[in-house]
Amino acid sequence: MGEIVLQAENVSKSFGITRAVRNVSLSFNRGEVRGLIGENGSGKSTFVSMLCGIHTIDKGRFLLEGKELKVKNQVEANRKGVSIIVQEMGTLSGLTVAENIFFGNEDKFVKYGIKNTTAMNRETSRLLEKYGFSHINASTMIDHYDFETRKLVEIVKATYFNPKIVVVDETTTALSQFGREELYKHIKRIKEEGNTVIFISHDLLEVINVTDTISVLRDGELIDTVKSCDVTEDELKRLMVGRELGSHYYRTDYGEAVSGEPVLKVEGVCVEGHVRDVSFELHKGEILGIGGLSECGMHELGKAVFAASYDRTGKVRLARGTEINSIPDAIRHRVAYASKDRENESLVINATIGDNICLPSIDDLAERGILKKKKMDRFAKKYADMLSVKMTGIGQFVSDLSGGNKQKVVLARWIGKDSDVIILDSPTRGIDVKVKADIYALMSELKSKGKSIIMISEEIQELLGMSDRILIMKDGKINGEFMRAPELGEEDLIVRMV
Amino acid sequence: MPEQVIQEITNVKTEGGSAFNRVIRGIMPLIGLAAIFLVFYILTDGKLVKGNNVELILSQVYTLMIACTGVFLVMTVGGLDFSQGSILGISSIVISYLSFYSIPLAAVAGVAAGALIGVINGFVHVRFKIMSFIVTICTMFLFRGLCAYLTTNAPVAAVPGITALNALLWFKLLCTVAVLLIVYLAFRYTKLGISLKAIGAGETAARFSGIRVDLMKFIVFVLAGAITGFAAFLNVVKVGSITSTSGSQLETQILIALVLGGMPISGGVKVRFYNIIVGTLIFVILNNGLVMVGLDAAQQQLIKGIIFVIVVALTIDRKTLRVIK
Amino acid sequence: METKERLRAFKPEKVFGKWYGIVLLVFFAVVFWGFFKILTPNNFGDPDRLYSYFQSSIQYAVGACGFYFIVVMGLFDFSIGANVVLSSIVGVLLSKHFGYAGLLIGSLACGTLIGLMNGFLYTRLKIPSMIVTVGLMLILESVASFVAGGVKQTLDKSLLGFAQAPGNIILAFVAFLLVAFILKFTRIGTYCNAIGSNEFVASNMGIDVNKYKLLGFVLLHFFVGIMAILTVSYGGSMTATTNMQTLGLNFTPLMGCFFGLAFRKYTNPVIAMVVGEFIIKIIFSGFVALGAPTTIQNVVTGAALLIIVALTTRTAKGAVVK
Repeated sequence: MGEIVLQAENVSKSFGITRAVRNVSLSFNRGEVRGLIGENGSGKSTFVSMLCGIHTIDKGRFLLEGKELKVKNQVEANRKGVSIIVQEMGTLSGLTVAENIFFGNEDKFVKYGIKNTTAMNRETSRLLEKYGFSHINASTMIDHYDFETRKLVEIVKATYFNPKIVVVDETTTALSQFGREELYKHIKRIKEEGNTVIFISHDLLEVINVTDTISVLRDGELIDTVKSCDVTEDELKRLMVGRELGSHYYRTDYGEAVSGEPVLKVEGVCVEGHVRDVSFELHKGEILGIGGLSECGMHELGKAVFAASYDRTGKVRLARGTEINSIPDAIRHRVAYASKDRENESLVINATIGDNICLPSIDDLAERGILKKKKMDRFAKKYADMLSVKMTGIGQFVSDLSGGNKQKVVLARWIGKDSDVIILDSPTRGIDVKVKADIYALMSELKSKGKSIIMISEEIQELLGMSDRILIMKDGKINGEFMRAPELGEEDLIVRMV
Repeated sequence: MPEQVIQEITNVKTEGGSAFNRVIRGIMPLIGLAAIFLVFYILTDGKLVKGNNVELILSQVYTLMIACTGVFLVMTVGGLDFSQGSILGISSIVISYLSFYSIPLAAVAGVAAGALIGVINGFVHVRFKIMSFIVTICTMFLFRGLCAYLTTNAPVAAVPGITALNALLWFKLLCTVAVLLIVYLAFRYTKLGISLKAIGAGETAARFSGIRVDLMKFIVFVLAGAITGFAAFLNVVKVGSITSTSGSQLETQILIALVLGGMPISGGVKVRFYNIIVGTLIFVILNNGLVMVGLDAAQQQLIKGIIFVIVVALTIDRKTLRVIK
Repeated sequence: METKERLRAFKPEKVFGKWYGIVLLVFFAVVFWGFFKILTPNNFGDPDRLYSYFQSSIQYAVGACGFYFIVVMGLFDFSIGANVVLSSIVGVLLSKHFGYAGLLIGSLACGTLIGLMNGFLYTRLKIPSMIVTVGLMLILESVASFVAGGVKQTLDKSLLGFAQAPGNIILAFVAFLLVAFILKFTRIGTYCNAIGSNEFVASNMGIDVNKYKLLGFVLLHFFVGIMAILTVSYGGSMTATTNMQTLGLNFTPLMGCFFGLAFRKYTNPVIAMVVGEFIIKIIFSGFVALGAPTTIQNVVTGAALLIIVALTTRTAKGAVVK
């Protein structure tokens, strides 16, 4: 390992109110394999996407070999010697393998506007051979290959030009053992050639094995950088999640028993690819927290309970046995759902606050089929005020509201419908502290009124603070159940998540 | 890159904007109507409103306005219906055939025929998830061909007495106003309006709010067909016999009329019922005025085309269209 | 169960490999031909007739190839028909002074200019292509009327080289080769596919999406210019019409284009489009041979397009389709 090749100086980035990356300063050496770990929302993906030109930098800068790195897109980043292998599909359908590898960089094959495809294919074959991927054909359309093979092509695409920095962003999760081995081989090769790899993964053991050093991010800030050979998995976990307990806006009660009366029964629910045979019961007046890593299936489970999934099997029943098989069913039987995807699912963004609050209750508001605007307006205003939505009036478009107020509108509509079972997915994501406290207070109030809440959250503190009972999911199954107790700690939960 | 991050940057681009903006957008079509009226009043030395001409203008309004009402519902959810002209043709033929038995029966049959084509449109669109404009273009072709086939040897004539109804101004006005009123009341005072607007504004979110999106989308196409089927009745009353090209540009006339009336192409909550009325009036006055001013067919079309492009450019809600195709 | 298992394991793609697409297309062509041949053996489908079907289908195939560039990006253009009318009229007018050169240069230049205008308006005004091209269709039709001066434009008898073999076939094939070349050997080919596949990713990789969309329109209308030459030669003359009568001309090329899109995973799209148009022509002629009136053509067009699209569209679950 040699001298410093890349430096990040006080790099920051915010998305609206969310401060994704806060004043991160890091340096990377030549020939180093650096692991970058953190929970969801820790800022690691945003950090590297700024490096690679996918996002703009709000404050601070990157220095590559002493010179400031300013790139507008991935191709420019590539030219400066920085590349990334992304988590999702990074290749384009409808193009050949060769076209994908050289996408944006065809210049060396182009003369007078004509692209020498034969030469490009030949060069691609040579590269594929060199990488040990000779089973992949340069001139075949990439659609013919499966996801893993396409990832291998991406490896070639991201590294064939000997970039100084290669970011591997959560790539290994989707690969088989074979794919991972191939990736590790190439990471080693890149290191030996004197270049640097930034390796992002949730698999802590893998990170310890593959990397030389590991940097830990939490809540957008750099916590520490440690040597891989000196650290254990547990120590890493502690660095990732340990935090001072902030404001006491969670519930402070303990030991109060929850009624045993079930209001909702989930029986053997499966959603292909996400949820595998999950069963549980929700009790009256209970706040049931569901947690896990972001891909554990809990978000899809929430949708499935609300009957919003396209391919759900299994049953979701209410207390008296009524099955819920469609969204209108669910709503009619007083089940509510606030999605993680607020903008597309929880709210009709390009409509007014009034419209949004009234929509689920439309049938109730109609007298013999007739809807009166005055009645609807009164209804909407009542619940908007109840939740103290900061607005200019119910005729204001929801798109103008801040994240916190949007969430309040979401909750207002369900309270207006007087729902008994409320499924909240990531209810306080991207919301400022004051509104967070309001929402928690609301949840306690609903609980005291005998309403039942399922709270799906990636924030461990929130789960610990608010839930009567917590279910932890892993790989689509329930992997742990915890009752509310003051001794219950983060690590108890994390152990079941990873 | 986590989903959340992608969502933040390609986020639903939003409208809203100030109330002032929205008021302006609301008034613009009315100003446009006044402007067009004024322009042609001056250009024709006032002949625009003299005697017969008003009736002439009105006679072009009825069929178009009724048909626009149906398509208004379709466009509110963000769809398009290019089969309107063919629906008019087929329904007119059905009405003409049955007019020999009973005129009221013929009218009902016309509505049913239109509704039937609407059922095909709605079903294929919803069930196979094919874009509405493609589906309706295909049905346009299909039924235009059928229309041409049925009129191969001679135009299809309705019972001669039917055109007597044409002289009854109050009858035609009554029909038009009745349709407008019924649809308006349904749109404004039942959950039809708010549901359709929600689907147009955010289909996924509408689904999550409990709206039966697929059902509603199906219904609007059936309604559009049925309403145009009724417009066909007034059409038969007016022309008396149907040729192979009857109604053949109705769909584009409707599109242009609604756009001129300020209707947003992608539907949503900003649609207003008066888009139908104002738009049709602007369109017909424009048509009529251009003829009176002495322009030939090609010149008229050129002006209409240019105005159309300009108005769409001005009124389109770019903010709600994430990726413009 | 052995046969069932064997049938299930029989993956035609693996058996035919690269030729799967072409084999499938030829298979369809033979099936349709056979269908009509059996029904009306005497006035359909003999080699002479097949030859003439082919010749009358290649003009649409050229249009289909042009369409490919924008349809693959998810765009649409209603003004193709109006272009055919306008470009051919310009071509005929120029041919009166400059002969073949006038015809060729007039049509192609006119087409290219139309493409520039369409593309420019689309990228600048940011109106969905479907809507803006309706307006453009109106405008182009009127312009064509002006240029024609209300007179039917007839090609001089001496300039009908492109009306029959070998002239028309040569011109068409030059067009096909050109399209295939552009798709395989230029950046435009790659980028049009990329933008259609994922516009956001493509733009993120540094592609100037607007520039390529504009180029797509230019290419489209250039090839429609060629289609115009073939059309006016075939018919001998061209009349300018208004009232959106050119709307119908858009759809036969579009159908061929869908063939190309559906089969592009398995074979060269140009081949798929040429064979596709030929199949469509066989179907039309078959119906005519059966004694169906020519009006039936539209019914068939409508139904066929609907079926093709229904079979080839694959929408993701939960995607919003307007």
